[in-house]
Amino acid sequence: MSEPLKTEKAASSSGLKMMSRATYFREAALKNIFLLCAVLAVAAVGLIFVFTMARGWEVVKDPGLAAFLGGTEWSSSLGRFGILPLINGTIAVTLGALLLGAPLAIGTAVFLSEIASPRMRSIVRPAVEMLAGVPSVVFGFFGLVMIRPVVAELTGGMGFGTLTASVILAVMIVPTIATLTEDALGSVPPGIREASYAMGATTWQTIYKVLLPAAKIGIIDATILGMGRAIGETMAVVMVAGNAPQFFKGLGAPIATITSQIVIDMSYATGTHKTALFGLAIILFLISMGLVALVRALSRLNTKKA
Amino acid sequence: MAALVLALTLTGCSGGVERREVVVTGSTTLLPITEVSGEMYAEHNEGVSILVSGMGSSAGIESVSTGSSDIGTSSRELKDAEFELGLEDTPVAYDAIAVIVHPDNPVSELSTMEVRAIFSGVITNWQEVGGPDLPIGLVNRDEASGTREAFSKIIMDDAQFDRGAVVLPGTGQVRSVIADIKGAVGYISLGFVTDDVKAVSIDGVEASEESVVAGTYPVQRVLHFFTKGEVSDVAADYIEYVLSPDVQDTIVREAGFIPITAKDGSGE
Amino acid sequence: MGKRWANRIALGVLWLCGITTVLVLGAVILYVFVRGIGQITPEFILTRPYGVNAEGGIGPTIVATIYVTGLAMLITTPIAVLAAVYLAEYAVQGRLVNAIRFAADTLASVPSIVMGLFGFAFFVEAMGLGFSVLSGALALSFLMLPIVMRATEEAIRAVPRFIRWGSYGLGASKWQTVSRIVLPSALPRILTGLILAMGRAVGETAVVIFTMGQAINMPFTPLDSGRSMTVHLYTLAMEGINMDAAYGTALLLMVMILFFNLSARWLTARNRKVKE
Repeated sequence: MSEPLKTEKAASSSGLKMMSRATYFREAALKNIFLLCAVLAVAAVGLIFVFTMARGWEVVKDPGLAAFLGGTEWSSSLGRFGILPLINGTIAVTLGALLLGAPLAIGTAVFLSEIASPRMRSIVRPAVEMLAGVPSVVFGFFGLVMIRPVVAELTGGMGFGTLTASVILAVMIVPTIATLTEDALGSVPPGIREASYAMGATTWQTIYKVLLPAAKIGIIDATILGMGRAIGETMAVVMVAGNAPQFFKGLGAPIATITSQIVIDMSYATGTHKTALFGLAIILFLISMGLVALVRALSRLNTKKA
Repeated sequence: MAALVLALTLTGCSGGVERREVVVTGSTTLLPITEVSGEMYAEHNEGVSILVSGMGSSAGIESVSTGSSDIGTSSRELKDAEFELGLEDTPVAYDAIAVIVHPDNPVSELSTMEVRAIFSGVITNWQEVGGPDLPIGLVNRDEASGTREAFSKIIMDDAQFDRGAVVLPGTGQVRSVIADIKGAVGYISLGFVTDDVKAVSIDGVEASEESVVAGTYPVQRVLHFFTKGEVSDVAADYIEYVLSPDVQDTIVREAGFIPITAKDGSGE
Repeated sequence: MGKRWANRIALGVLWLCGITTVLVLGAVILYVFVRGIGQITPEFILTRPYGVNAEGGIGPTIVATIYVTGLAMLITTPIAVLAAVYLAEYAVQGRLVNAIRFAADTLASVPSIVMGLFGFAFFVEAMGLGFSVLSGALALSFLMLPIVMRATEEAIRAVPRFIRWGSYGLGASKWQTVSRIVLPSALPRILTGLILAMGRAVGETAVVIFTMGQAINMPFTPLDSGRSMTVHLYTLAMEGINMDAAYGTALLLMVMILFFNLSARWLTARNRKVKE
């Protein structure tokens, strides 16, 4: 930071002449400093990947790739580190979250972009933004003390499990999906809307037949990113899922996800166990990178079509 | 406060002639003893701070053996592999593990075999042990927990815990969930049993201090302080303090544990 | 009539969606507020927790939270802002810019638990910083980098072209234009981004739990460990030992987050007014 400031002072003292040789070099040097900062972002991603890889790749030796990716049991006391129950748990809570959260989020976005009066919008939109800011432990805590007893009542179990985790995650992905969907709807040219209304279509017909199809790719992108958020969410899930690494046994039964297992185990894991946890981190990293790549590919497709 | 920390940092940097800091890591079960006695010790000895963290017994043993802690606390015995670490053992208290149920649950006595069958998922309804027709809701502790380790060793033998049990990482949460759910069953240290839950008798012996001291209650264990090699003066003095009646008859008792001195009668 | 009724029902459902979202937020805030407000005393904010049930206050956790967030901010801001300047002002579209954007997007979507494990492996262990405020801040800065970068880039792009042309027309160099003209006019929006990133850092748990540690400690130097408010809340809730303190901690956390959010909104609103 201090470097550019210094150079800037020097540049100003030389006055606003035509670009001198010195200024040229200064400008070039600055440009490279900025470039370096930008490249740091790439380096950061590389660093994360390399270091989680370095700590986790040995899962291919012990317990072995097949036992790790194909194992049906996760138990540190037995030394078994099969991730299928955790993958199963992650899929269960993520699907639940999407089923509950995506319609709510998309509905909210449509409401904001097409229906709400400016006054209403000035209430709902800040609410969506603030929902994004609520820390995940607070959501988890809320789920633990408020949602869990209700779910226990409903399912006859103890209230820890897929349903509670899904409800909490649904709320948490609403801001992600709603904001991006609203952006997508906003980028639909107003002319299309007007044409639809001019033909006598109702608001709902316009939304359903014209706007949603036009914004389809954007909404899919939004949902994918919301999904990514649900897969990666940790603290809220660990507080309400019950953390039993077993296959899905019903909405009220406890379950463990990839992320929750890492938190539960990390404090005491050693040796192969710790390696396996870093192996889980690699998988999470690859999933999130894959989802980002998918979204980018989709939007490229979209721009090409348009 | 800041000045104190600064002083600590400075003495820490000056080559550690006199260490004024004792790092205590380990079992969450021992937290009531270590935290409170640590605070009281620090109050009596100016400039000393006892840094306590509860990360589980295994973490405690690991950290004292690598030298990152002065004292590793554990609510379980050393495993075979850990004997080679050359740790010095100082027992500090007795703890009994109570099997707890909802207060309205009519079942008030179970055998060791029944408890094992319940926790391994063989018995899934209270009817099978003389209770009402109500499904059993299993609450287990996380694998880092020393309580789980001890419970598994004493009760479970070779049987595996039912994988479908809810895993909760804290004693208080186990208690509050069981107080809330009619069919739930779990286990916590006797010291943490309150009126919100009911401790059942095991093999006909009530879970109480008397039965633990008498050695008749089957689910009990010893809580340990582990140290390695030469211990700093402050740490040694702190351990002595924990073993003194000042701590044993007050803090240990108030936390619901039984003083280590109780068995030879010197504490009574 | 089918068409009209379908319209009414559908619009009703959409209204319901919007209202539900507001109600959910309201419920969370209200619940935490009602249960936590009784806890908030000067003593709760200033003193440290003691005893079996973590009674007393949460002072050290507040200090640790502010400390680690502030430090992370100091690390992130220059890098993120300069990176954004490059992307918005200097970069020519191409493979490199594409890679940078992809990296930033990926960084923004890396789950925080992965960031936590990475921070533990890299800063705590490999670099030997131990469980410390510095490790926590470095790991958090990875999390904040893409947020601040994006906000800054958007802010810079929102500065009208003609202002720049005016500057170039007067013979200013590129850096003079950027530093004297573009960045000052983009400042309010950059600040908004910074504030939101800080809010994110304050609320983060999975990253700091594995990098800053869990022991309750009043951190003084950046190499001291500490327990953040979020980790404290997590521990209290999971141990189930002192739920009152958990409510109090949750409320204070929410107040801090709301404060960040509202100041960001206020900045945005003020900025809009000034422009008009």
